[in-house]
Amino acid sequence: MKKFLKSFLALGLLAGATASAAELTVYSHRHYDSDAVLFKQFTEETGIKVNVVKGSADQLIQRLASEGKNSPADVLLTVDAGRLHRAKAAGVLQPVKSKALAKNVPASMRDPEGHWYGMTVRSRVIVYAKDRVKPGTLSTYEALAKPEWKGRVVARSSSNIYNQSLLASIIAANGSDKALAWAKAIRKNMARSPRGSDRDQARAVAAGLADVAIMNTYYLGILANSSVAADREVAAKVGVFFPNQDGRGAHINVSGGGVAVGSKNKKEAIRFLEFLTSAKSQETFGNVNHEYPVIIGNNKSELLKSWGSFKADDVNLSVLGAKNAEAVKLFDLAGWE
Amino acid sequence: MAASLVNNAQHRLRRLAREFRFRLNGWTVAAVLLGLFLFLPMAEVLWHITSPAENWEHLRDTVLGRYLKGSAILVVGTAGLSLLLGVSTAWLVACCEFPGRRFFEWALILPLAIPTYIAAFAYFDLLDRLTPLLIWVRTNISPEAMTWLSDMMVYPVTTVVLAAVLYPYVYLVARAAFSRQGSRFAEAAQTLGHGPQSVFWYVALPLARPAIISGLALVIMETLNDYGAVKHFGVPTFTTGIFRTWVSMGDLPGALRLAACLMVLILFLLLLEKWLRFGAKFHKTSPSDRPFQRYPLGQAKAGLALLCCLVPLVIGFALPLSRLAYWASLTAGKVLDATFLKLTLNSIGVATATGLATVMIALFLAFTARYFGSQAAGATNRLAILGYAVPGAVIAMGVLLVAGQVTQATGWILTGSLAVLVLCYVIRFLAVAWQPIDAGMERNCAQLNQASKTLGATPARSLFHVNVPLLRNALVAGGLFVFVDTMKELPLTLILRPAEFETLSTKTYDLVFQSQIPESSVPALCIILVSLLPVIWLNRQMRAPEQ
Amino acid sequence: MNLLTLRSVTKRYTATDPPAVDGVSFECAQGEIVALIGGSGSGKTTLLRVIAGLEIPDTGEVVLNGTTLNSPTRFVPPEKRDCGLVFQDYALFPNKTVSQNISFGKGSTDDPARIGELMEMADISGLEQRYPHEISGGQQQRVALVRALATRPSLLLLDEPLSHLDPELRDSVRTELLKLFRETDTTALFVSHDIEDAMVMADRMVVLRKGTAEQVGTQLEIYDRPANPHVARLFGKTNFIPLGLLPDAPHSFADETGDGQVVPVRPHQWQLVENSNDGSTAFTGKVVSTTNRGAHQEVLLQTENLTLTIHLPGNTTVKPGETLTVSCDLTV
Repeated sequence: MKKFLKSFLALGLLAGATASAAELTVYSHRHYDSDAVLFKQFTEETGIKVNVVKGSADQLIQRLASEGKNSPADVLLTVDAGRLHRAKAAGVLQPVKSKALAKNVPASMRDPEGHWYGMTVRSRVIVYAKDRVKPGTLSTYEALAKPEWKGRVVARSSSNIYNQSLLASIIAANGSDKALAWAKAIRKNMARSPRGSDRDQARAVAAGLADVAIMNTYYLGILANSSVAADREVAAKVGVFFPNQDGRGAHINVSGGGVAVGSKNKKEAIRFLEFLTSAKSQETFGNVNHEYPVIIGNNKSELLKSWGSFKADDVNLSVLGAKNAEAVKLFDLAGWE
Repeated sequence: MAASLVNNAQHRLRRLAREFRFRLNGWTVAAVLLGLFLFLPMAEVLWHITSPAENWEHLRDTVLGRYLKGSAILVVGTAGLSLLLGVSTAWLVACCEFPGRRFFEWALILPLAIPTYIAAFAYFDLLDRLTPLLIWVRTNISPEAMTWLSDMMVYPVTTVVLAAVLYPYVYLVARAAFSRQGSRFAEAAQTLGHGPQSVFWYVALPLARPAIISGLALVIMETLNDYGAVKHFGVPTFTTGIFRTWVSMGDLPGALRLAACLMVLILFLLLLEKWLRFGAKFHKTSPSDRPFQRYPLGQAKAGLALLCCLVPLVIGFALPLSRLAYWASLTAGKVLDATFLKLTLNSIGVATATGLATVMIALFLAFTARYFGSQAAGATNRLAILGYAVPGAVIAMGVLLVAGQVTQATGWILTGSLAVLVLCYVIRFLAVAWQPIDAGMERNCAQLNQASKTLGATPARSLFHVNVPLLRNALVAGGLFVFVDTMKELPLTLILRPAEFETLSTKTYDLVFQSQIPESSVPALCIILVSLLPVIWLNRQMRAPEQ
Repeated sequence: MNLLTLRSVTKRYTATDPPAVDGVSFECAQGEIVALIGGSGSGKTTLLRVIAGLEIPDTGEVVLNGTTLNSPTRFVPPEKRDCGLVFQDYALFPNKTVSQNISFGKGSTDDPARIGELMEMADISGLEQRYPHEISGGQQQRVALVRALATRPSLLLLDEPLSHLDPELRDSVRTELLKLFRETDTTALFVSHDIEDAMVMADRMVVLRKGTAEQVGTQLEIYDRPANPHVARLFGKTNFIPLGLLPDAPHSFADETGDGQVVPVRPHQWQLVENSNDGSTAFTGKVVSTTNRGAHQEVLLQTENLTLTIHLPGNTTVKPGETLTVSCDLTV
C-alpha cells in the first residue's frame, strides 16, 4: 500500500514538475502596459509562460502568507520597497542570489540578504507652480514646514504607501520626534485636507488652489503624455524640483520583486527577475512608464532627462519597510489623514 | 391517581421524543450545520474583537473617532436624502395623477442598476469642478474659509451621489406600502376633515413606516459597504479605515478589530431597525378592494411633481449613464477585445452560479426550518443570512482567516479557487434570495405542507411538488436579485479573485485605479446594461397582481 | 328648512353602462334619521359617497345646511364638508389606539369631556389604549361611530352599519344605535339592504332600485301605499290582486308588466269567511300548502287564476286540499 502511494505521489510530483516547467505564476501589484509588454517579451525569449495574478500588494502578501509553502506563486512584484520589506518580514520570500542581479541592481536598492530586488525607481519630489514660485525659494522637504508655506501645500492621503515611505526616510534621517513635528507642520500648511491621487495634487497646483505639491515623478510623466489635453496643460504649468540636493538627496522608492518561498520554479523565477532588471527592460520602463532605471544614470527617456539629473538618497531602501509602521503611527498622531 | 399522573408524564415524554425525532433528522441536521458553516467567517471576525491587537490603543486614540464620525455623517446624510427622495416620489407615483406618472412609476427604479462605485466614478470630477468656487473663496474671503469649505464639501457631494443610486430601495417599499393601503384610510381621514397633505403626514406615512424603515436599513447597509465612492471622494469611514489599517499599516489584527467593531455597530443598527419597526403587525392592512383614486394635480402642482420625479432620475441614472456612454463611445475600440469578452463571461458565469446556488440553499434552509418546525434550524438560518449586513470586504477577511486555518491544518489551498469566491458571494447575498422565498413560504405554503405531511408524503416530495411550483415567482425574483448584486459586487471580488480571473467590476476598478476613467466606462456600462434587465423585469413583477 | 337636499343627482361610471345613480332627489330634515334601502346595484352606496364628497356626480345638486356642496359649478372636497361617515368595514387606523382614532378628526379634541361622554354612551369607555385588532367587531363599530361623532358633524352617514354583525346581535344593535342617535341629537342617513333596519331605526326611508328613487316617505306611508310591486315586496310577501276584482281599493299601482293596475294585499289582511254573500269580495280556492310559523299559519290558496298567500291565526287547523273562502279587509 505504502509503495503504491509513494509511486503515486512521485508521479504526481513529476506531473506537477513537468507541467510547471514552462510556467511562472506572478503575483503583481503593478497594472501597467509596460509590464504586459515585457512579460510577453520574456515568454517569446524563453518560452516560459507568465501567469499574472493582479491585486493590491498587501492582499497578495496576505494570500501568500495563508497559502504558505503550498502557494502556486513564484514571483511577487510590488510598487514600493516598504511592501517588499513587509513581504520579507511575513516570510513569504526566499533569498536568491545571482551575478546578473548583483550587477544590475545597486546595493541600496536591494535587500542585503537577497530577498528582493528593485527594478524601477521613482522619486518623490516637490512640484511647483511655474508662475507663482521661484525654484530658488525651494530647498528641502523640511523647509516646506516653515510658516511661509502656510496654505500653499497639497499632498495626498497618508494611507498611500509613497507618503509613508517618504516619512520613513525622514525618520531614518532625522529621528522620530523631528519627523512627527515635520508631519504636523506640513499638515497645517496644507491648503485642503489630503485628498485624491498624486495627479490631483498637480492639478490643484495648476488650478491655483495651492503653490506646491509633494508627488512622484512617474505621475508627472503620465500627465505629460496623456491623451487628454487638460492633463498636458497641467504638466506644462508645473515644474519639478528635487529636494535635499545639498544633503542626503531626494527621496526615492523602488518597484521590485522577489521569489516566493514556495516557488517550484526558482531558476526560472531568478531568470525572470534578471530579465526585468536588464538594460533593455529598464529602457522600456523609462519610455513606456516614465520610471527611472535602478541605475539612475542609465536613464534614456527624454522626458526624464528634461527634469535634470539629481542626487538620490542612498539609504538602503529596506529601511522604508522597517520604519513603515512607525511612519503610519506618526501620520495618525500628526492628524494627516 | 399517582399512576395516571405517571402515565400522563410518560405519554408527554413519548410525544416529545417523537417530535424530537421528527425534528432531528438528516434534513434538520444538515440545515443547522450548513447555517453554522455559512456564519463561520463572520464569527471569525467577531471573535477578533477580543483578540489582542497591539495597535488598538493607538487606533482608538487617533483615528477611530474620525472613522466613526465620517461613517455617521455619511450614513445620516444618505439615509435622510434617500428617505426624502424615495418617499416623495413613491407618494407622487402611487397617489397622484399627473402626465408622465406611468413612465416614472417604473423608471424611478433604474438607478438600482448602477453600483455606488460606478456612480462615484461617473461623477469623479464633481469635486474638481468646484475648484473655481474654492479659488474664489480663497481670494475673496480667506484661505482658511477655502480650507474649511473644501473639507466639508466631500460630505454633501458623496451623500448626493450615494443617495441618488440608493433611494430606489426606499422608493420600492414605500410605493408598495402606499398602494396597498388603498383608499380606505385616506377616505376615512378625509371624512374626518383632513385634506390630502394631512392624509399623507398623519395616515399614509405612519402606516407605511415599517416598510420604509426596512428600505432605509438596506440603504444604510449599502452605504457602509461601499468602498469605491468613499475612497474616491476622500470620506473617512469605517470601511476605508479597515482597508487602511490592513493595507497601510499591515496590521491585520487591528483591521479585524475595526471590522468587528463595524459588525457590532451593524448588529446594533439591525436591532434598532427591529425596534423601530415594532408594531408592524399593527400595520397589516388587507389590500383594499377599491383601487386608490389618485389625486389629480393641477398644472402648477403637476409641473412640480414632474420636477420632483425627474431630479432623482436624472442625477441617479440619466446623467451618469450619458457620461459613461459618451466616454465609452470614445474608448470602446481600445477596450473591447477578446479578453473583454472573456471577463464579461466570467462576470455572468459567476453571477449565474451564485444565483443558482443561493436560491437552492435558501430554499433548502427555509423549507427545512418551516417544514419540521425546527427552532434550531430557524436560529441558524437567522445567523446565516446576516452576511448581507456585513460589508463584502469584511466577509472576505473572515473567509481568508478560515481558509488560512484550513490550509494550516490540511495543506489544501482554498484561496484562489472559484468555488470559494462563489461561496463568499453566497454568504454575502443569501439574505437577498432568502427573504422572498421565506415570505412566499409563509404566505402560501404553510397549510399545504401540513396537508402533505398528513398525507404521508416525504419531505422531498413536499419540497419539489408542493413548495417549488407555488414559489416560482419568489425563486426567480430571489435568483435575479442575487444575480444583479453579484454582478455589481466589488470589494469582495478584489480580495478573493483567482489567478487570471477578471470580472467586469474588477476591470472597472483597475482602469480607474490607473486613472483611465474614460476607459473604465466600457466595463461599467456593461455592468449597468446587464443589471438593467432584471431590474425592469422585477419592477413589472411587483406591479402585477399577486396570485 | 331641510338640513340636506338632493336634487336630481346623477352619476355614471362609464359612458356605456346605465348610470349608478339616476336623477335621485330627496330631503332630510334636522334631527331626522333617514334610511336608504335597496339591493346591490341600487346605487345606495354611491349616493352616500356622493353626499360625503368621495364621488363627484355628473349632474345634480347637494345642499347641506344651506351650503351647496355639489352643483354644476362647484365641488366641495370631503374634508371641508360638515358630515361624518362610518364605513362598512369601519376603516379604523390599525396603527393608532382607540383614543387616537377617536381624536383624529379635525375639531374632535375641542371638547375632551364630550369625547368621554360619547364613549360612555357608546359603551366603549375603558378601551382607550387598545388597538383596533384587539377589540371585537361590535366594539370596532362603536369606536368608528364615536370617531365620526366626535367632530360634531351636522350629518352622520353610515354605510351598511349592521351588515358585518352576527344576526343575533342585529336587533339589539339597532335599538342601541337609535338610542345613541336620539341622545346625541344626530341627524343620520344610513344605507342598508335590510328593511328591518329601516323599520326600527328610521323616521323616513328612500327606496332605491337600479339608481332611481322609487319611493320616498315614512315606513307607514310606504307600507300602506307602495308605489310599485318591488316596493311592496320589501315588507314581505304581498299579493297583487287585479284592480278589477277589488274596485274599491284605496290604493293601486301598475303591475310589473305595465298592463293593468293591481292592488297590494298583505297576507294578514285576509280573513276566513263562512259564506260568500255578504257583499264584500270573496275568493274561493283550494289549499295548496300550509306552514305553521308559530304566530300564524301561512296558507297558500289557489283560486281560479290567482295564488294567494294568507296568514291565518296560528291555531287555525287547515289542511291541504281543503276549500276555503277568504275576503280581505284593507283597513287592517
